Amino acid sequence: MNLLNSILYDTIYHSTPLILAVLGGLFAHKANVLNIGLEGMMLMGAFAATLFVYLTGSLWLGILISILLTLVLGLIFSFFGVTLKSNFIITGLGINIFVQAFSSFILKFMALSNINVSNIISVSALKIELPVIRDIPYLSSLLSGHTAITYLSLILIPVVSIIMFRTKFGVYVRVVGENEEAAKSVGISTVKIRYIAVLIGAVLCALAGANLATERMALFTNGMTSGRGFIAIAAIYCGRAMPVKSTVYALIFGLARSLAINLGLFAGPVSGLFEIVPYLMIVTVLFAVSAFEASHSRIRGFKNG
Amino acid sequence: MNQRRWLSNFLSVLSPVVLTLLLGGIIITAIGEDPVLTYSVMIQRSLFSYSGILKTLHFAAPLILTGLAIAITFKANIFNMGVEGQAVLGAFFAGVAGFSFTRLPPALHIALCLLAGMAVGVLFALIPAILKARFKVDEMVVTLMLNYVVVEITKYLSQGVYKDPASGYVSTYAIRESAMFKKIFNSDITAFFFISLVVFAIMVVVFKKSKLGYEITAIGLNPEFAEATGMDVRKKILSIMILSGAMSGLAGAGFLMSEKYRYTLDFSGSPGIGWDGMLIALLGGHNPVGIVVAAVFYSALKTGSDYIGLFTNVPKEIVGVIQGILILFLSVRFIDSRFKVLGRVKALVRSHGVSGSGE
Repeated sequence: MNLLNSILYDTIYHSTPLILAVLGGLFAHKANVLNIGLEGMMLMGAFAATLFVYLTGSLWLGILISILLTLVLGLIFSFFGVTLKSNFIITGLGINIFVQAFSSFILKFMALSNINVSNIISVSALKIELPVIRDIPYLSSLLSGHTAITYLSLILIPVVSIIMFRTKFGVYVRVVGENEEAAKSVGISTVKIRYIAVLIGAVLCALAGANLATERMALFTNGMTSGRGFIAIAAIYCGRAMPVKSTVYALIFGLARSLAINLGLFAGPVSGLFEIVPYLMIVTVLFAVSAFEASHSRIRGFKNG
Repeated sequence: MNQRRWLSNFLSVLSPVVLTLLLGGIIITAIGEDPVLTYSVMIQRSLFSYSGILKTLHFAAPLILTGLAIAITFKANIFNMGVEGQAVLGAFFAGVAGFSFTRLPPALHIALCLLAGMAVGVLFALIPAILKARFKVDEMVVTLMLNYVVVEITKYLSQGVYKDPASGYVSTYAIRESAMFKKIFNSDITAFFFISLVVFAIMVVVFKKSKLGYEITAIGLNPEFAEATGMDVRKKILSIMILSGAMSGLAGAGFLMSEKYRYTLDFSGSPGIGWDGMLIALLGGHNPVGIVVAAVFYSALKTGSDYIGLFTNVPKEIVGVIQGILILFLSVRFIDSRFKVLGRVKALVRSHGVSGSGE
């Protein structure tokens, strides 16, 4: 039963950065500026948070600075994607390549192979046990003993849902995405809405990165987000940018990673191959969702996009 | 008229390059180094000496191929981000063929390895192609995910069955002498460069003269219209991805057989030859001639960056930084109709603009 407990715990553990990136990314997706730069923004969050914890010695200051720096990245993305009307897919990929290169450039310059801050922050001290839930079997492994950002990400699921469907801002985001001309005709500033949508994504990606690098491991290594931003985009696609539905896909992908890691322990020499399970799982889920939708569409012939 | 268009094309490529080098210079200054010295070392070593030029051309060969592999799909508005994975997997299995067969005559062995790389590249490109053509699965996410699958599979294989125990780090066996491209002209350059030029010549014909080239443009501009005129868009997507996979596999195989000789975990470098190909395709404006120029330019930066460590304290990762910034700037120029509202409006404006000025 130990195995089940650790699978439950790891599912939430591995889902956290995905949930944050999904919740942040779906605003931009709804506003019709798909942000492929989630990956780079998350890496920026991870890098900046760890670097500034290393430099300032304070976890919260590090996270704050990483949010600010990722916001700058978000501003760059929206300036190109929204103001200059670039091809935002290419812009996003440019962001990803830039952040990856920039972080390894700085590491090389500082003559470090990674940034280790375990002497400044203690990973185990950051885990918060929930008072009542900790005594309930299974539920305690699922929900107790996580970090602050993890709990924040869980709270954000209903919050984002409410913002998207119950507030004026949410309506504006959806209108801008669905019918730009209509939005303009009633006086909505489409540019402003899109900027805000992208920037929300940047903040949540910074938190995702901070969770991944500092809170969880107190360590930054090059390219450590390893595709989590892209996985988040897959989850947004599958969940059609609905907050709860997309989060469920993020949890499915978190579960896949958790299973791969926990079951890999028993696989002996082939355990390395278990690493590919989450990625293959995403392709399979995406395939299932798209095939289902394709079988229900009534468009004759091939329609792109 | 034609001259003016050529000039504006040239300026629209040159200005992002200049801006990027300026920003790169600011970053270099910010870490307390001399940007002029850094850039001049880069260019002197890669372009202003006989051996430097040949070395630059040598490293440009795989980049020409990955650039073409990306351009052919991007032009049709297929976002094949899997060129990196296809190239690495192609290289890996070209390497396996390179050390597994013995006592083959060099010409045969080299051909066999290149074919192995291309075949693997094609097979791996077919997964997203079939998913896209048959089930409309988004090719971008699939190819991005499959890249990570390649990383893990090659890592697993090179740590396991194919590990060379004599090597101090994780690496496969070196390929046999008979599978290696020989250095010629007393320099780094090999026959692989000329193979890449042959592929380039073929692609010029495909892009400019063939039916497929026309169809690629048509699908890129408007797939529904292409379908309505009777094109089998599904089949074309498969053909395009097969060509792209073959070139990616060839790029990886050739890079392994002319330069690295064995597969290591950092084989493709960072950001990797497939990602370099994306920059090159964008910089070259999805046009074969432009791609060759862009590949040589980028290869010169990359080759030159190996020497900046000797004269300055600038890490050679600066090239990746420059690459990222340059892609950002180039994204503004590259117009796309993938996203309905924005793309349609832009395509409309552009088609009016083009036909208006052509008359």
